[in-house]
Amino acid sequence: MSDPILSLQHVHKSFGEAHIIRDVNLDVIPGERHAVIGPNGAGKSTLFHLCSGQFAPSEGRIFLNGKNITGLKPAEVNRHGLARSFQITNIFPGVTVFENLRLAVMRKHNLQFVFWRSAAHLRQVNEEVDDLLTKLRLTDRAQTLASQLSYSEQRSLEIGMTLASDPQVILLDEPMAGMSHEETDYTADLIREITKGRTLLIVEHDMSVVFALAHRISVLVYGEIIATGTPDEIRGNARVKEAYLGEEAA
Amino acid sequence: MKFAPLFLLISVAVLIVLPWLVSGSMLNAAVQMLIAALFAMAFGLLCGQAGMLSFGHAAYFGIGAFAAVHAMNAFGGEGLLPTPLLPLVGGATGLVGGLLAGYFSTKRTGVYFAMITLALAELLHALAPHLKTVFGGEAGISSFRMPAWGIGFGGLNDVYFLTLVWTLVCIGLLYLFSKTPLGRLALGLRENAHRLRFLGYNTNALGTLIFAVSAMFAGVAGALQSINIEAANYVVLESHISTAVVLNSYIGGVRVFLGPAIGGAVMTFFGHVTSDLTRVWLLYQGIIFVLVMMFLPRGLMGELVERARNPSAEGVAQTLGTLLMRLASLAIAAFGAVFTIEFLQRLLSPEYRADITEGNWPDITLFSYDWAPLSIAPWAIGLGLFGLGIALATLINRRVAARKEAQA
Repeated sequence: MSDPILSLQHVHKSFGEAHIIRDVNLDVIPGERHAVIGPNGAGKSTLFHLCSGQFAPSEGRIFLNGKNITGLKPAEVNRHGLARSFQITNIFPGVTVFENLRLAVMRKHNLQFVFWRSAAHLRQVNEEVDDLLTKLRLTDRAQTLASQLSYSEQRSLEIGMTLASDPQVILLDEPMAGMSHEETDYTADLIREITKGRTLLIVEHDMSVVFALAHRISVLVYGEIIATGTPDEIRGNARVKEAYLGEEAA
Repeated sequence: MKFAPLFLLISVAVLIVLPWLVSGSMLNAAVQMLIAALFAMAFGLLCGQAGMLSFGHAAYFGIGAFAAVHAMNAFGGEGLLPTPLLPLVGGATGLVGGLLAGYFSTKRTGVYFAMITLALAELLHALAPHLKTVFGGEAGISSFRMPAWGIGFGGLNDVYFLTLVWTLVCIGLLYLFSKTPLGRLALGLRENAHRLRFLGYNTNALGTLIFAVSAMFAGVAGALQSINIEAANYVVLESHISTAVVLNSYIGGVRVFLGPAIGGAVMTFFGHVTSDLTRVWLLYQGIIFVLVMMFLPRGLMGELVERARNPSAEGVAQTLGTLLMRLASLAIAAFGAVFTIEFLQRLLSPEYRADITEGNWPDITLFSYDWAPLSIAPWAIGLGLFGLGIALATLINRRVAARKEAQA
């Protein structure tokens, strides 16, 4: 087993008296698709906020690629190679799909306060946007306003914007929430495709997706990871059955 | 949309030959229209593109105007700052003022942003009369345009062309700005600042810069006004200037590129024409704003662009016919409304009420006829025509809707 690309060591997060994350140890291996599952309120979103820099852990350390990123701000974590999507669609609704992706790609090229160049002539940026459009299968929707996309297309765009900074590690927070069966299948395919050569950490409620997509699964219950393993190992784990999968297995 | 460059070319050509086409009074109005158009375009960058509604843009227009007057007096239109380059001073002052004010105000968004801009502008307005050396007190500061580059700048024509060149160049620069990465990020700021932060952008710095660029062009517009009237008075800092630019931009269409300019020009022209004809022209301006917001929420220009993008399925001839019929019915309604409002205005004026003696109500002259206020005729004409116009418009709308249904 190679060194973990994302490593949480004895991470603890409490808000006042509420201990949301308790002594979590998690190693994510480079190139794997790792899912975090658990009942509502188990702390999955908090775990993501800790990894992406929105919250600093109360105790413990987080390493990305061997670098200590504990307590760094979201933009700094982003530049170390970790990008995330949001549970609620978070795009630029009133501009075109192309523009959405261009805004996301420009940051990677350090184009922020630039007012002496034409955005239409940034060849590198526009090529990357076209590539992303192809990957997301949104090429023929490039000039559509993002607000006019279907829900699943908006979710694809959301994932695409996460991808724009070319991160090594991608955190997807419930990318299939609210989708129909066809949309879920479509998005699962998309995720498989775009995460090739990258590492994925995903939170998802749809168990059929999780077991089909993930190489390994960690089960989070009341802020503690009670099991980590392959889908088969998790299916056969007695504690997991009792704590979480029980009702479905019965 | 493909005719847009042609329209632009024709408009610019008309603007260039305008001094030979219209009277002096109209040309003077044209100068003011150009200045209002540029000011509204500067505001449009901030409000329409970056989504930051400033209620205090008079401040940057005003400091640009004062900076230009001081520069006129200091340099006498010679040396480093000849008359044609004076707007640069206005722009630089606006830029610096915008950087300072923008830094504080863009720390908040939405209503809080609007309140901070309003407070800063009011602060300046309240302070101005006390700073006599800077703002000249109640009397303001006056100056003279000096000849430069072989141009006299004494007559209106020279001032018109100076204003025209600066306005066109600045609008061109604003257009180019909207195409740069920073200009594109303005849209991101409007649409979703939270997401921009998570993409790694510094939204406070972005907002400050865009605010400053907007204030810079507002300063240029202010300087052009100083050059035109050869003076600046602290009334340019008043809140009604800030309000007017908001209303003008929305009437024209704040989200489409030339919308604010059209709004500024149209409403300035409207004010120029109607303020000589009636005392209640501000009421009409308000009514126009409300009607545009209710029925053409995208603004005049915004609606036009939308129609051009999604043409009606009915074909040009039919659409044009419907449009003409609509305009005719609305003209009837407007005449009825204006008749009633003007009649009421005269009836309620203090002068008229002083003339009423022992129940004797003298006739009121309106549109060169005398009307007895207690008779039914004037009321019937005013309200009747208004009602007729509205009824016709409703009828036309019903017929169009029925035709569309039949097609579907």
